[in-house]
Amino acid sequence: MTVQACSSQLPVVTATLIENAQVAKGLWKLRIEAPEIASSFTPGQFCMLRIADRTDPLIGRALAIYSTDPKVDGRRSWIELVYQVKGRMTTQLHRMVAGQRLQVWGPLGNSFSAERVDHLVMVAGGIGQTPFLTLAREALGLESFGTSTTRQNGYAQHVHLLYGARSADYFAGLDEFRQTGLNLELATDDGSIGPPQRVTDLLKKKLVELQGQSIRIVCCGPEPMMEAVSEIAHQHQVRCEVSLETPMACGIGICFTCVAKVKQEDGSWDYKRTCIEGPIFSSTEIIW
Amino acid sequence: MTNSNTTSQVDLSTQIDLSTSIGKLQLKNPILVASGTFGYAREMERVVDLTRIGGILPKTITRDPRPGNAPWRTVETNSGLLNAIGLDNDGIDYFIANHWPYLSQIGTDVIVSIAGKTQQDFYELTSKLEAVGNVRAIELNISCPNVSGGVDFGTDPKLCEEVVAGCRKATTATLLAKLTPNVSSIATIAKAAEQGGADAVSCINTVLGMAIDWRKRKPILGNVVGGLSGPAIKPIALRCVYQVSRAVKIPVVGIGGISNIDDVMEFLVAGAAAVQIGTANYYDPTISVRLVEQLEQTLRELGASSVREIVGSLTIPQNK
Repeated sequence: MTVQACSSQLPVVTATLIENAQVAKGLWKLRIEAPEIASSFTPGQFCMLRIADRTDPLIGRALAIYSTDPKVDGRRSWIELVYQVKGRMTTQLHRMVAGQRLQVWGPLGNSFSAERVDHLVMVAGGIGQTPFLTLAREALGLESFGTSTTRQNGYAQHVHLLYGARSADYFAGLDEFRQTGLNLELATDDGSIGPPQRVTDLLKKKLVELQGQSIRIVCCGPEPMMEAVSEIAHQHQVRCEVSLETPMACGIGICFTCVAKVKQEDGSWDYKRTCIEGPIFSSTEIIW
Repeated sequence: MTNSNTTSQVDLSTQIDLSTSIGKLQLKNPILVASGTFGYAREMERVVDLTRIGGILPKTITRDPRPGNAPWRTVETNSGLLNAIGLDNDGIDYFIANHWPYLSQIGTDVIVSIAGKTQQDFYELTSKLEAVGNVRAIELNISCPNVSGGVDFGTDPKLCEEVVAGCRKATTATLLAKLTPNVSSIATIAKAAEQGGADAVSCINTVLGMAIDWRKRKPILGNVVGGLSGPAIKPIALRCVYQVSRAVKIPVVGIGGISNIDDVMEFLVAGAAAVQIGTANYYDPTISVRLVEQLEQTLRELGASSVREIVGSLTIPQNK
């Protein structure tokens, strides 16, 4: 007996870099030609990426999908990924220019749920805004993603992005977010925009403001922030999904690096691979 | 079917015999995937054609479920990966009930990897796999550096021989012993495994290492120390295969940093009857199947008709 040819083969491609540009302090965005990935991903999914034909750096990096081109005849041609320049890999990556080759595999992981709600509140910190551009576009009915016809769009009446950073220099893609028609609110630690405050302060105010309406929170950012957001969501009894940014080595479930402590049905916990069982979990499942 | 016209030159129609044998296993080709680097194969069915791979070693299983070590579990080093996963697995009973039905029908040979803290653990695991009825090969992971206890069987020749002999009594399946390089003489351990009745030895498991965040004055890995793998350790692995293949009569399976076809050929020439691809699966997920294709092409270009012609063909120049 042999395995049947799988209908959805995972794209593992050598992709050409189209553009690589700085978008904020320490943050860069790259655009690569990857039609298979662009045409099939859904908001919240990520890719693994490495510099082709090099063994140093060796291991791929997990990067969230930020954007893609409009569909033409049901197909898209490129994806954009946002990354923070902080290690050996990303230092080399930000020096790469159009025409160079990258090895990419994806789309990987699960997606944010697409359920009808009055207010979708997206809470982002650091580089955590990345998956929210496509999510906002989908939730507001501007676009649909993926190949499945069962995933709906236009499921949120209103979309809010609460976005926090150390300082105003670190915000990326604000215009692109505004263009979707979402309600954007910013928080900076140093008060370079508005009073010095945390994104969690914005969230608390927002939840009071929206009381009585159906709300769902999605959150991506540094772990302490996600933990705090989960706690606030719990206090207000609002459903919350978090996208974990645990370090990964393979992205496809074979290395068991990217585990998070997840509650089991029987009350115990187990380490779960965030690459294949996540990266998005209900906030109530995670043991921080 | 025969060709009516047999002209010479590089004949693309000539069948290259890629098969190799390890104990009672007749593998379709010598490109295997290493335990711990391929999940339980199911994760890879969307990525590669599993039937093309010479053999698959699922992630090591233990008697009882183990949550594994606390993160961080891996850290990248120069051309290498340091890991301390800690044998995260759901235990033998879960494996037999949930993974084996899938693995036993994937269309290629599967070598089940097991590890125990005690000899009794190893015997119990082996007996349970024997009782399944269709487990044809077992690799004894006596060399995991991330679990206290287990590594002793890989560093002490007497304990190694005993544990292999005990498992030998418990099964008729092909038995491989996976050895650690973290010893002064790997050939001595290999001989002990052979003496104990192993059908083959796999060389090598990871090289013990460490990574430190000096600013925080803390180790990076949750387990403090871990095992180094990837291209960084290939010369060590190659040396071990060379030494072991001269010390034992049983086949040697080469593992350690293999990441391209030249690496594969080097291991075969050094004496490996087969190789396992490990860390490369993480950063180049389709590599295993590509290497099978490239191996055939390389042998053809060489004018070799089988893998066997290459295995152990190393010649050592005599002193002048």
